[in-house]
Amino acid sequence: MKKLGILFLFFSFLGSAQENFTLNGTITDASNGETLFGASVFLEGTSIGTITNEYGFYSITAPKGNYNLLISYVGYLDIQQQITLNQNQKINFEIKEYATQLEEVVLTADEKEHVNIRKPEMSVNKLNIKTVKRMPVVLGEVDIIKSLQMLPGVTNNGEGSGGFNVRGGAADQNLVLLDEAIIYNTSHMLGFFSVFNADAIKDIKLHKGGIPAKFGGRVSSVLDVRQKDGNSKKFAASGGIGLISSRLALEGPMFNKKGSFLVAGRSSYVNLFLAAANENNRVGFYDLNLKTHYNVNENNKLFLSGYFGRDKFKLGDTFGVTYGNASGNLRWNHIFNERLFSNFSLIYSRYDYDIGIQVADFNWVSSIDNYNAKYDFKYYLSDNFKLDFGASAIYYDFNPGAIIPTSEDSSVNEMQLDKKKALETALYINAEHKLTDKLTAQYGLRYSYFNRLGGQPLANYVNSQPVTYNSTLGIYERGEVVDETYYDSGESIATYNNLEPRASLAYELNENSSIKLGYSRAAQYIHLLSNTASVTPLDVWAPSGKYVKPQLSDQYAVGYFKNFKDEAYSLELETYYKTTDNRIDYIDGSDLIGNNTIETEILNGESRAYGLEVLFRKNTGKFTGWAAYTLSKSEQRTKDANAGGPGISNGEWYKTPYDRLHDVSITGSYKASDKWTFSTNFALQSGRPVTYPNGQYQYEGLSIASYSNRNSDRLPIYHRLDISATLTPNKKPNRRWKGEWVFGIYNVYNKKNAASISFGQNSTTGANEATRTAIFGMVPSATYNFKF
Amino acid sequence: MKLYIKLITLFTVSIFLSCEDVIDVDLQTAPERLVIEASIDWEKGTSGNNQTIKLSTSSAYFAESQNTPVTNAAVKVTNTNTLEEFIFTNENNGNYTTTNFTPIVGNTYSLEVIYNSEIYSATETLQAVTDITRIEQSTEKGFDDEALEVSVYFVDPEEEKNYYLFKFKQDGDLLFELEAGDDEFINGNEVDWWFEKDEEDDQGEFNAGDRVEMEMYGVSEAYYNYINTLIIQSEGVGLFATTPVALKGNCINLTTEDNYAHGYFRLTQVVTADYTFE
Repeated sequence: MKKLGILFLFFSFLGSAQENFTLNGTITDASNGETLFGASVFLEGTSIGTITNEYGFYSITAPKGNYNLLISYVGYLDIQQQITLNQNQKINFEIKEYATQLEEVVLTADEKEHVNIRKPEMSVNKLNIKTVKRMPVVLGEVDIIKSLQMLPGVTNNGEGSGGFNVRGGAADQNLVLLDEAIIYNTSHMLGFFSVFNADAIKDIKLHKGGIPAKFGGRVSSVLDVRQKDGNSKKFAASGGIGLISSRLALEGPMFNKKGSFLVAGRSSYVNLFLAAANENNRVGFYDLNLKTHYNVNENNKLFLSGYFGRDKFKLGDTFGVTYGNASGNLRWNHIFNERLFSNFSLIYSRYDYDIGIQVADFNWVSSIDNYNAKYDFKYYLSDNFKLDFGASAIYYDFNPGAIIPTSEDSSVNEMQLDKKKALETALYINAEHKLTDKLTAQYGLRYSYFNRLGGQPLANYVNSQPVTYNSTLGIYERGEVVDETYYDSGESIATYNNLEPRASLAYELNENSSIKLGYSRAAQYIHLLSNTASVTPLDVWAPSGKYVKPQLSDQYAVGYFKNFKDEAYSLELETYYKTTDNRIDYIDGSDLIGNNTIETEILNGESRAYGLEVLFRKNTGKFTGWAAYTLSKSEQRTKDANAGGPGISNGEWYKTPYDRLHDVSITGSYKASDKWTFSTNFALQSGRPVTYPNGQYQYEGLSIASYSNRNSDRLPIYHRLDISATLTPNKKPNRRWKGEWVFGIYNVYNKKNAASISFGQNSTTGANEATRTAIFGMVPSATYNFKF
Repeated sequence: MKLYIKLITLFTVSIFLSCEDVIDVDLQTAPERLVIEASIDWEKGTSGNNQTIKLSTSSAYFAESQNTPVTNAAVKVTNTNTLEEFIFTNENNGNYTTTNFTPIVGNTYSLEVIYNSEIYSATETLQAVTDITRIEQSTEKGFDDEALEVSVYFVDPEEEKNYYLFKFKQDGDLLFELEAGDDEFINGNEVDWWFEKDEEDDQGEFNAGDRVEMEMYGVSEAYYNYINTLIIQSEGVGLFATTPVALKGNCINLTTEDNYAHGYFRLTQVVTADYTFE
């Protein structure tokens, strides 16, 4: 705390150093009134400038004088304006998109995602929604999560697996936010599609490291997805018809143009085909994005947004599964003065599933709910010094599972696993500090406090060992329960707190290149329990507590960033080293389903990941795109300190399922004419680490496989090429209706990439065989998109 | 558990354009181990005097000859409560037999196998099993409500934790179908344990006239943990299956600790039945 005091002293000194005036306001898109995040506001001939925040707000402070103000944003026309700074003033700007203004400009400038070499922010990828929409995808279904995997350091466990992995981390180590609400499951249909409807999305930002102090709770990455506010100028509709689903988004002004609304829906219609084919099974998903905002006055804005998504899966009349996320968010932007911006949010989010097992007359339900309040401030103290600070509190309510018999003759008994409750609070402060013209630093501190609340019984074990090692048999066994302690709802079962320092430094070598350094520490208090190769929608989240400790990670990164040829090309090189403590793994033969005492299935371990990432982009011209290469390792070691055994794989390091030694992604887009644009993706990567048999023996008349050490084999190399073509028919300038066709072929050369290889005995011949499951062969698609 | 696995499998496979094919894969080969299949199964209503223990060695996963019997070992079982010893006779085909075994529910037995001058040992308690009350056929249960299935009914004893192993085999099938269960969610209830086949199975769905053999074993918790993992892993390890693990039974090597044996020394009571579909 002493350090903080010194920091504050420092700020006040900086603040009072000069007599300055402040210019502030918001920057919006002229065509639809959407606020723009990341637009640059710059005083020409000086080094004074800033970029707009998530709400399009900017504030710059400069000594009294005349300036030429330059506003620029990728894909938009620059604005230059003479200003005389002799008092604090507020100016809002509306800027126009290239494409709508100057059809003849060939430059596909919306692609221009050049590197910001000056900001100390590193390990960040921002994806333009237009770039995402142009990338070829399975069945033409635009997919943000799949697009992210074209970036260095981002992978997933193959087709048909949910979630994504960042820098060798697990899927549950990603904080996924949709308009600040936590999304617990990012996939529809087990990972075939993502829950984000591209028509409702404005910005996507992925922090792979150097996570800003305002985010916390996950150790690997933050995916910050922002919904559109809705068109505040005129009513507009957009949508599309694809093979799998159809979309429709409506937006327009509200409250006498003092606000706007957005309603976007998407629904699959595989069910119609299934019904037509006289199939009794059903599979499908839908989602709904809602948003409205209201400008109360110059300094106050209210936003209300929501998301609701659901997957349904039914096997005849025997089984049904539904699952999905729901979230709601009320936000209040308040500008205290020209330098102090604030946002207060009240957020609710939920993930739940319900398995109906009609054959046995019962339902299995599980859910996680959270209520989150946060208050964030941004203080533009001076040109050299900006400060973010705030506080957040999240209350969690876990229902790990319950059995609800649906009829009297069900042979299954009613059961409720212990519900769990927890409170996660945090305070943070972060400074962006220009030390010299060449050197900019960002440093901050997050203090997090986690309280696992009572209101449930908890088992106590012999010798306090939930897992014991049977040294005679050489196996781990579940500990023996002595008794239970009941914790009242007023009591804490366990509390944890952590100081999480975050710092980065950017040194500008020259106008076009810079070196950046970063360090961050992050704590994660909730964990997804999953002992399967891929995350399933039926996995359950669990809080830290008496037996499960919070994960703590430290990440170090160094990067070199360069823009070439007037920012037409850019190169990003980054290397990182990351360690995570208290990463759990599961004992051999663990059983997580319907388990009330998860602690008897897990051992505490650690993980480490390191790698080199190269990203080369071509930002302008008819041809744009990038090539990414990642060389990395991700390993885990599970020595067991408590149970007295050798640990998993004898306490040696073993590969995590997210280890990819090599990963190459190339994506490109070529604008051939006003009518045609062609795009392509190519992906090549090392296979996922898996465990194969290393022998067989006869038992019970069957050939039983013996398995080698955990993850000591790999699936075959994965590679795939996709192409797509976008046809924009001749535009009639007077018509509001604008349509486009997107034709695509996923996996052009029909490579049967193994999603898994399973080993078993042929039931006719009795011979052992290896069976490969490949999810997608070559898949052609056609989608029609429209706007009016 | 079995519902869950089946569900997840169907979930993955049946939805989409997935395709499966058999391929060649290079595998690691572990050093050979002794395999002890010491299943002392006492069929209810019989004396249980005749027992066989099978010994073999493990081989490469794709080895042409899967069964390599061990014919040079010595096998002995001791009742640790009564200290009665049962020497098993080497039949020189991998089988070691006795005709005078006395099974006593609740008694603990120990096994000793001497092979290649190393001593293997295991200890286990003989488990009782409840009776099958009736057997019925229907179509409503199971995964497919048009396919026939057979249900074994039994009443789970309420006062203790019970673990079960079921074996089903249709006449003409090569392999037994193994299923394991515990009474965690069904304690004290009348349980129907159904068995159904689908089109993908060897002889397709059950038809009238098909005959099925059924066996229900009462097993120990430790054996349940073992056999349950074994069953799950032998069903293949797909995308949503648990990561497979090295499976260790209860036969330890007293001479060289790391050279443990595969297999298990189990003592169970078993009830058997057969059913012909109408």
